Amino acid sequence: MLAAAAAAAARASRGLSSWLPQTVPLRGSHWQTSLLALRASLPTRAQPKKKKKVDLKREQAQKDRMKKKIKKLEKLAPEMIPIEDFIPPVKYSDNNRVRSLPPLSFEETERRVLLMKKWCVFKQKQDKAEKKAIQTLVEAQQEALKELRLESEELYQAAIRRDEGLFPFERDGPNYTPPLPGYDPPEGKCIDITKVYTQ
Amino acid sequence: RSRRGRRKARWERGGKMVARTAGHCGPRGGVMAAPMKRAAGWGRWFCTAAAPRPWRLFGAMCLLRLPRITQPLEKEEEEMAALMEQIELEKSHYSDHEVRKLEEEEQLRRRKESAYDDDDEAPGKTVIMAQDLEDKWEQKLLGFEAAPRITDADKNNNRTSLNRKLDSNLMLLVKQKIGNQELWLLPQVEWQPGETLRSTAERAMATFLGDHIQAKILGNAPYGIYKYKFPRAIRTEDNVGAKVFFFKAFLQSSDLSQAELKEDYLWVTKDELGDYLKSEYLKKVNRFLLDL
Repeated sequence: MLAAAAAAAARASRGLSSWLPQTVPLRGSHWQTSLLALRASLPTRAQPKKKKKVDLKREQAQKDRMKKKIKKLEKLAPEMIPIEDFIPPVKYSDNNRVRSLPPLSFEETERRVLLMKKWCVFKQKQDKAEKKAIQTLVEAQQEALKELRLESEELYQAAIRRDEGLFPFERDGPNYTPPLPGYDPPEGKCIDITKVYTQ
Repeated sequence: RSRRGRRKARWERGGKMVARTAGHCGPRGGVMAAPMKRAAGWGRWFCTAAAPRPWRLFGAMCLLRLPRITQPLEKEEEEMAALMEQIELEKSHYSDHEVRKLEEEEQLRRRKESAYDDDDEAPGKTVIMAQDLEDKWEQKLLGFEAAPRITDADKNNNRTSLNRKLDSNLMLLVKQKIGNQELWLLPQVEWQPGETLRSTAERAMATFLGDHIQAKILGNAPYGIYKYKFPRAIRTEDNVGAKVFFFKAFLQSSDLSQAELKEDYLWVTKDELGDYLKSEYLKKVNRFLLDL
């Protein structure tokens, strides 16, 4: 219908109103309802109309399929990330890898058991000493705070306030030997090859 | 009469509480102050700057240099470590390096027994054996010399250096004049109104070591207290004695070359404190120092 209207407009401009300026819309055929309607709509062909609909449908169908797949995957429980340390590599389960050592003698087992018992006692004493030291530490502090409170309340309040700058507290632990002055460590690059899993 | 007696007893008790707990209105406030205090509650004192207090406050800083090397193992610890290594060895499998070594040993043995059976091996080819690798690594280890655990300062017993006794805590002792005596003390400075005790301790550290000290003070609260009364000659009603509050800090920077130490100073371990501090003071200080 629009195509007919366009053809009619062309005929009209060529035939009847050649002396009129081209911009003036003319009612070329009885299919045109208003003078303004002609120029308002672009002349369209039949082909692009079909492409748009098919495209839309195809795109819609694709999107639905993707959404269904995503929903299926989401419904399944997420796959567990394997802990590399707990899975011994396959090459170490070979039999030729098993160490061959002579069996332990009776004296050796006895010695080991007695040493373990001595170790228990040693560790227990160490632990008790540590706990006692901490106890005296806490008591000394409580005593100090009590005396401070007797002195002045505002100083006491300032003392029991939290120290924000204290944590996180970081410190490099002690090594076996002190740092060597003027030591030049060998150059090299450390390439991290750990596998990173994402869920 | 009994009731009056009881009330009087209560007031007397209140008055005594005031004197003992160093009320800011001073013991001169006496009985008049007691009923006001009782109404206000014993816990809340309001500090009035003008009123004298019987105790003088000091803030002292115990600056610790943390250990740089591990302590030597005790006999039981060493035995246990050896046992653990043995058990670990027994429970383990052969590693790649060990498998290679065993195979090469087998090859060598076969070659010796079979005697020149594999002449088809190219003579120019040099095979690096696992044993050679081990020897090479051993040589490299022997070539490296680590810093000694017992330093020169240890041998000379130079107590002013920080490089001594790298496996234990070292703390700073300063010689100060208290009254008319020169004593070895943890650096202390008198508290001034308007600052917290922690800043007093920081000021004490700064006066003896200069401003450029990186130390991490462990919290706002004091770790210990040493209370002492002045000798009778100096003691007045307002000035009974002094309370010294101790704070702990960890020394972060390892070199103190910028520090301008004006007086005599020492860096000592906990065991050596007894050589310098008085017994009562030492007792209180020992309570808040961990023996590691």
